[in-house]
Amino acid sequence: MSVNAWIVVADQPGVGNLITVARSLGGPVGAVVAGPRPVAETVASSGVDKVVWCHAPDDVPPEASAQAVADTVAADPPRVVLAGRNPAERVLLGAAAARLKAAVLTGARSVSLDGDSTTVVNAVFGDIADETVAVSGPVALLLDGGSVPPAAGPGAPIEEITAAPLGMKVIETRTHGFEEVDLNAAPRVIGVGRGLAAKEDLALIEELAHVLEAEIACSRPVAEGLNWMGKDRYIGSSGAHITPQLYLAIGISGQLQHMVGVTGAETIVGINADPNAAIFSQTDYGLVGDLYQLVPAITAALR
Amino acid sequence: MDFELTDEQQLIRDAVREFAETEVTPIAAELDRDHRFPYELLPKLAEMNLMGMPYPEKEGGAGADYVSYVIAIEEISRACASTGIIVSAHTSLATWPIFKFGTEAQKDQYLQDMASGRRLGAFALTEPGAGTDAGAGTATATLRADGYALNGSKMFITNAPFADVYVVFAKTDPERGARGMSAFIVEKDTPGFSVGEAEHKLGIRGSSTPPIYFADCRIGKEALLGGEGDGFKIAMQTLDGGRIGVSAQALGIAQAALDAAIAYAKERVQFGKPIATLQAIQWMIADMALEVDAARLLVYRAASCVDNGRPYSTEGAMAKLFASETATRVAGKAIQIHGGYGYTESYPVERNYRDAKITELYEGTSEVQRMVIARSALR
Amino acid sequence: MRIVVAYKWTCDPEEATVRADGTVDWSRAKPGLSAYDPVAIELARQFADAAGAELIGVTAGGKGVAAPIAAKAALGRGLDRVVIVEDGSLADAGRSELAAVLAEVIRHVGDVDLVVTGDSSVDVAAKMVPTVLAGELGWPAVAEVTSITGQAGALRVERAIPGGVQVLEISGPAVLAAAADAAAPRVPGMKELLAAAKKPVELLDLTALKVPSQNAVMTVTGRARPERKVRKGQLIDTADPAAAAAELVTALRAAGTL
Repeated sequence: MSVNAWIVVADQPGVGNLITVARSLGGPVGAVVAGPRPVAETVASSGVDKVVWCHAPDDVPPEASAQAVADTVAADPPRVVLAGRNPAERVLLGAAAARLKAAVLTGARSVSLDGDSTTVVNAVFGDIADETVAVSGPVALLLDGGSVPPAAGPGAPIEEITAAPLGMKVIETRTHGFEEVDLNAAPRVIGVGRGLAAKEDLALIEELAHVLEAEIACSRPVAEGLNWMGKDRYIGSSGAHITPQLYLAIGISGQLQHMVGVTGAETIVGINADPNAAIFSQTDYGLVGDLYQLVPAITAALR
Repeated sequence: MDFELTDEQQLIRDAVREFAETEVTPIAAELDRDHRFPYELLPKLAEMNLMGMPYPEKEGGAGADYVSYVIAIEEISRACASTGIIVSAHTSLATWPIFKFGTEAQKDQYLQDMASGRRLGAFALTEPGAGTDAGAGTATATLRADGYALNGSKMFITNAPFADVYVVFAKTDPERGARGMSAFIVEKDTPGFSVGEAEHKLGIRGSSTPPIYFADCRIGKEALLGGEGDGFKIAMQTLDGGRIGVSAQALGIAQAALDAAIAYAKERVQFGKPIATLQAIQWMIADMALEVDAARLLVYRAASCVDNGRPYSTEGAMAKLFASETATRVAGKAIQIHGGYGYTESYPVERNYRDAKITELYEGTSEVQRMVIARSALR
Repeated sequence: MRIVVAYKWTCDPEEATVRADGTVDWSRAKPGLSAYDPVAIELARQFADAAGAELIGVTAGGKGVAAPIAAKAALGRGLDRVVIVEDGSLADAGRSELAAVLAEVIRHVGDVDLVVTGDSSVDVAAKMVPTVLAGELGWPAVAEVTSITGQAGALRVERAIPGGVQVLEISGPAVLAAAADAAAPRVPGMKELLAAAKKPVELLDLTALKVPSQNAVMTVTGRARPERKVRKGQLIDTADPAAAAAELVTALRAAGTL
């Protein structure tokens, strides 16, 4: 069986979207997994045709299997190789792409095979434009992985390989105590920006989030420079892209790098003290004013 | 004739702008509101080598050209006019006379520290009765066995009381008028030297400009800068350069006001369209943009004369006169464009307007600049 | 020890506009160091200072990347020297092509113990060049790196993972992509900027590098401006916060959002 599409998986089993895309191309779908065995098993029973599991010691990170992944994919070269947007998957996909000397595209809105050519509609430059790209030769695609795929019939066989991993070892893991979140699953999201003066003021936002039944997310400076929330809450060009029913941007200026993460939201509301803020050309409802007055007022109005 | 900035000048502009946006802009409104001297910026400015830019590296400076220095003052002033004058007065008024007229011993003692920003300087010429008529100062420096005794008062002294080193002008020979004036280097905490109450001003409120007093303040002979009787000449030459710094400050203020007016005009919707689509506003912006650009050319030209070793007295006067009057005009028009909002503290243009006016007054009033230009034109 | 930072000189899409036909107009954009590269240079500089290593910048791209101002901008941020490949054919290069060129440049530099890159480029933001580069070199790669210590052959790397931080030990040369907040880049001081002009700049010819060709050829066959949801753009008067809140909630309920 000659694989048409390879899916590259590390230690996150959220590959439902990758499987859907791979299957849509027709032809056999293979998955190479460099992570714990249970991940390989989840993938094996999700509707792929073959699974190769890189068995590495427990204290070795998935990235260490990059060359083994590249070997596996090169041994059965595909039209397309796919991976989800996570740091370890990007490393594994990069190794496969380098070995195949494949084209790499990371903004695919759609993929189709047209004879010998693969056609990708690719969002470029912070999603300001779309390019239709015809690729002759192998293509590596970075996509949203999607959710954990449900079991779909009897599982594919798992071929186990033990390849010498690259010299990397995990020597310590520390947790930061930020609660993890899946922004993609939230129908309502509140985004917090630098308009919020102090970390303590998050309490105001939390109250609103509670009555609105919304998740809290943020712009890049808040997640990183200020470190008020975990980085999984950062929405932007290299962060989360979400499509909630309601996105409430509070104290966010509306720069391209952030807004690209929420252009698909059903309804966008913006609150900012600066009437010149870019956010106001991208909202359905805009409130120019002091968030410290407006947020409690909205919380009260919702009760 | 190349009107483009060199690579270094562009990179310096970008770096100072980045520094100003990160460190200065966030506190500018607060400095103004609270009349607060930005003491915490001094080590940061020093670390960026912004406190002695035009002085050679071996003297502690950055070894930058004068155009780069002027660009730095412009960018800092664009964020905060008070911080701009703190740096300019320190660099051009206080450090320069020591660099130009100091003995080796004086330069050893002060120049490294001042050009590197470790010690802050101030320039003390103006007196209650001697502003434009600087030669009419009544502060005296009486020769004693072991040095001089300073007596008198100075006012509007930028950077006092935070400065460590003061270049003070006083008459060693009051009978000879301006020719009897001498310059001295006086350190803070010298007995007999005290600083008065803070001056509350219309603008540049973050700049500290109190009066200072000398009551039998004893300084050594080694404190004399230049020769006895050289003081007036030293002061005038220092101001020739200082006014280029002020012209850069004015340019920065004007640019800030222009940027704000343009942003507002694009966003403010009246009668269903942004006001930037209205010809009245477009023509105001056109005039403002033209004047700011013309001011920039004059300021950079004056700085370029310094770099090329050419005379710069008239060119500096032209730059200072034009840039200062431009700043006031442009800031006024910027408020006009903002309408009522421009009159409130929520928008920065009212501060630009208040800050602009001083540039027409200090380091030589506009009348003095006109005197200098007329003298040159009528030669 | 030798550390390389791969940086990019390019324009920010924030300054670009998209025409109705989907083509991008970059004419108003001014190129600069890609936004997160100063973070990578700062992180690498701190490690280089601690380890006594040489810090070399490398870049490859289209016309302009070898301009003196581009080299000085990178050098002014703390590099000891730079090696640059400028070639018109690289202006529209794909990620793999760029990575392959960078791999050859790094082989040319020789004896490299570590490559550090930024989190992503400001314009393409693919996050793939560092990983494909590692694949080309056959080296381990790690992304979201927040700390680098240790020495050549025994690097100690901290990287962000969901929920915390993981510490890795890497025994050979590696490619590390710095997290966007791994270090606070210092603004270059005046002396640093002026000294940049004196630092060595090596220009390499692309053809002479003999970069092996890619197996895939990409051709752009169409361009379009993405369909953006047209937003209502309704502004709610906020003079009375309670009234504004009521108006907002009413509007959202009426629209079925709440």
